[in-house]
Amino acid sequence: MRGEDRYPLKQQLFSTTLANGIVLLGESLPALESAAVAFHLPAGAVHDGAGRCGLATLSGEMMLRGAGDRSSREVIESLEGAGVQWAHSVSTSHASFAGAMVARQLVAALPIYADIIRRPRLPEDELDPARQMVLRNLAGTEDDPAHRAMSALRQLHYPAPWGMPAEGISAEVAALGIDEVRDYVARRVIPRGTIIAVAGRIDWPLVVERMAELFGDWATAADAPPASGPRGSRIRHVHHDSQQTHIALGWSAPPYAADASYEASAALAILGGGSSSRLFTEVRERRGLCYSVSAGYHTLRDHAMAVCYSGASTARAQETLDVMLAEIRRLPGTLESAELERVKARAKSALVMQQESSAARAGDIARRWYHLRAMRSLAEELDRYDRLSVDSIEAWLADHPPAGLTVVSLGREPLEVPDDIQA
Amino acid sequence: MTFRHERLPNGLEIVAEVTDDALSTSVGFFVKTGARDETDATWGVSHFLEHMVFKGTTELSADEINRRFDWMGASANAFTSEEDTVYHAAVLPAQQHEATALLAAMMRPALRAEDFATEKLVILEEIRMYDDQPPFGADERCRAAFFAEHPLGRSVLGTVESIESLPVEAMREYHVRRYAPGNIVLAATGAVDFTALVETARRYCGEWEALPPSARDTWRAGRGPTGDVRETIVRPAATLAYGVRMSAGPAGDDPERFAAKLLATVLGDDSGSRLYWALVDPGTAEQASCHHQDFRDAGLFATQLACEAGDAPALLDEVTGIYAEAARSGITAAELEQARNKLAGRVVLVGERPRRRLFSVGLEWARSGRYRSVADDLAIVEGLSLDDLHRVMDSWPLHGPAATVLAGPSAIPETSGAGDPQGAGGAEPV
Repeated sequence: MRGEDRYPLKQQLFSTTLANGIVLLGESLPALESAAVAFHLPAGAVHDGAGRCGLATLSGEMMLRGAGDRSSREVIESLEGAGVQWAHSVSTSHASFAGAMVARQLVAALPIYADIIRRPRLPEDELDPARQMVLRNLAGTEDDPAHRAMSALRQLHYPAPWGMPAEGISAEVAALGIDEVRDYVARRVIPRGTIIAVAGRIDWPLVVERMAELFGDWATAADAPPASGPRGSRIRHVHHDSQQTHIALGWSAPPYAADASYEASAALAILGGGSSSRLFTEVRERRGLCYSVSAGYHTLRDHAMAVCYSGASTARAQETLDVMLAEIRRLPGTLESAELERVKARAKSALVMQQESSAARAGDIARRWYHLRAMRSLAEELDRYDRLSVDSIEAWLADHPPAGLTVVSLGREPLEVPDDIQA
Repeated sequence: MTFRHERLPNGLEIVAEVTDDALSTSVGFFVKTGARDETDATWGVSHFLEHMVFKGTTELSADEINRRFDWMGASANAFTSEEDTVYHAAVLPAQQHEATALLAAMMRPALRAEDFATEKLVILEEIRMYDDQPPFGADERCRAAFFAEHPLGRSVLGTVESIESLPVEAMREYHVRRYAPGNIVLAATGAVDFTALVETARRYCGEWEALPPSARDTWRAGRGPTGDVRETIVRPAATLAYGVRMSAGPAGDDPERFAAKLLATVLGDDSGSRLYWALVDPGTAEQASCHHQDFRDAGLFATQLACEAGDAPALLDEVTGIYAEAARSGITAAELEQARNKLAGRVVLVGERPRRRLFSVGLEWARSGRYRSVADDLAIVEGLSLDDLHRVMDSWPLHGPAATVLAGPSAIPETSGAGDPQGAGGAEPV
């Protein structure tokens, strides 16, 4: 077999739904020594509510501070004592708890996660430390100019609350009380909408049996989707005393569940997805304007965006933006088949190599299910890439040329944004 | 997993950790050169050269290199540190030859003056980018203070001035000397066809001229600062203050370095450590962590702190107080057990990804000419005892003399002031 690609077209994928609505997904990767689990709870920042930006993040932090019979410290120590590499995050759509470990430890880890999710103590005396932690993290993001520019872009581009910053807003986090946290966890940490994915060296029937014991009798509550609000303005400059000006811009794209998302994401990869992409070549390689420039595809369930980013010193930022916009305008009608072949090769490699990480696979199958309400195998995914053609992408671009751009700059001086791309 | 090794007549070494059922292959050229091999006149040349290697050879343009990597679906990149410059690509097994051959060709770059001028602008942007980010240069200033005049204290990127004044001729001379085949290791991990790898290396690297080994400076300055050194950097735009503290630790050739890493996990891992429970869990600091870093002949414990500016001096005192208390009262068996399990878990998770293993295998061989398997690493972690940790704390007191640099939004007071309750348990002179 040496010298041959041997990506597994025979994947071992599993899925089942418990009576209370929990979706349970699995992928067996017997070549690995590890197993990983990802819990995606329908408790993302989109449910924060007006004036409470950061409630999901604070609630997620509180869930780790004591659960079941375990104190705050015992929760962390029991995970780490089992050698679990744990992670916790809150995104727009989900609160996520994840862990990767040597496979035989999975049985020991699952009851700890069941405590965190079903029996968080949410003690009042932990509220202030948890709040301080959230506020310090927020202050830390203030010092990351690229993060700030991208966060502002999402906030302007997506309708509220889909673009709100998951990390919160200081003044609003400062005002949150323990009752709001407890109410939030009761309303949002519920079986319906919860996705649990396991991947790696797993015994699927055993996983299902353990999950049913741990989560089967969890009673469900009603799940209400948030209402969409208005969008922000399209152009914004944020003053920041930095040597570089950070540029984040975006326009609407089809969400992942839409068939055309593959055309959109391939077009964006040609624009700025690799070191042979147009933005990298024109902005960095030819002109030396910046260190970092890229374009990519960002998706929520019902909204998605084409995103471009660069950071260049104040004096050269305008030229950087101008070259980026010229490349965006030039995209429709100029795609070459060699460019598409490179995009396909990169996508295929990335998908195959993901199979070498149980944590990456658990997260990936959970995310795909959230978007598609189904599993999509590697073979289907590769097939969808294979079916992409220059014609299919050009047809999509002709119907959806880049327009209505949202542009954020963050630095010492504002940039000139031409009128035509704002239409 | 099997280990293979071969040496070409011109001195190039080839090593591979072969995992037959891996889905991917990672290859890398590990050049034993970095910031510590520079002088004042060539400060930043190692990293700048790493960029120039992607600008092409006499036969290959930069665009062609970028297109080829993308065409083979490679995840390719490079990095430069104080001691190593590494070029790496992760590909599907069918692309092993293509990826290796391309990287090999790149090791003999054209170093054209016009490319040099354009890429200089990119390097200057990279310097500005990092300068705008936390910890706002505190890490580099701290390393410079720790190593005093020794080249290990040189920042890898160089400075705006050193990069602007660097002539292309100096880079060409540096390249000839430092990229000699005897100074390079070709490493591969994952689904490696070793016979084919050696064949590719013979074809593309076999003609490289053998040069006598280029001497490297050694760390003769003892064990870091003999007294406390403290500096501050003012950044009006910063929101938080960032502190970096470096004290001496076991070097990369010291068997105690493994215990040092476990000790740093107990004291200052990102979660579940003594610093975490004292400073991060209560929301006092945004970050408080400690890790052990080793070089060929030097080592250090680096503490990183991020907090409100006004709290910084007191929290740094609290950190040294935690270290002093650990030295006085020792580590508990439960802490040892938890840290061992954590490290063992990390070893396994890294071990199953060829693209991560590449760095362990390649860097270790470049440094020591030795190979350690995942099982070897696990055995080392399992074999560490409380005595080992206590011995390291005795030999290398983390609360001892250190270089400390704080960067923050306003002038930060030099000390926390006598009797400040926040500084409870403050550092004891030892």
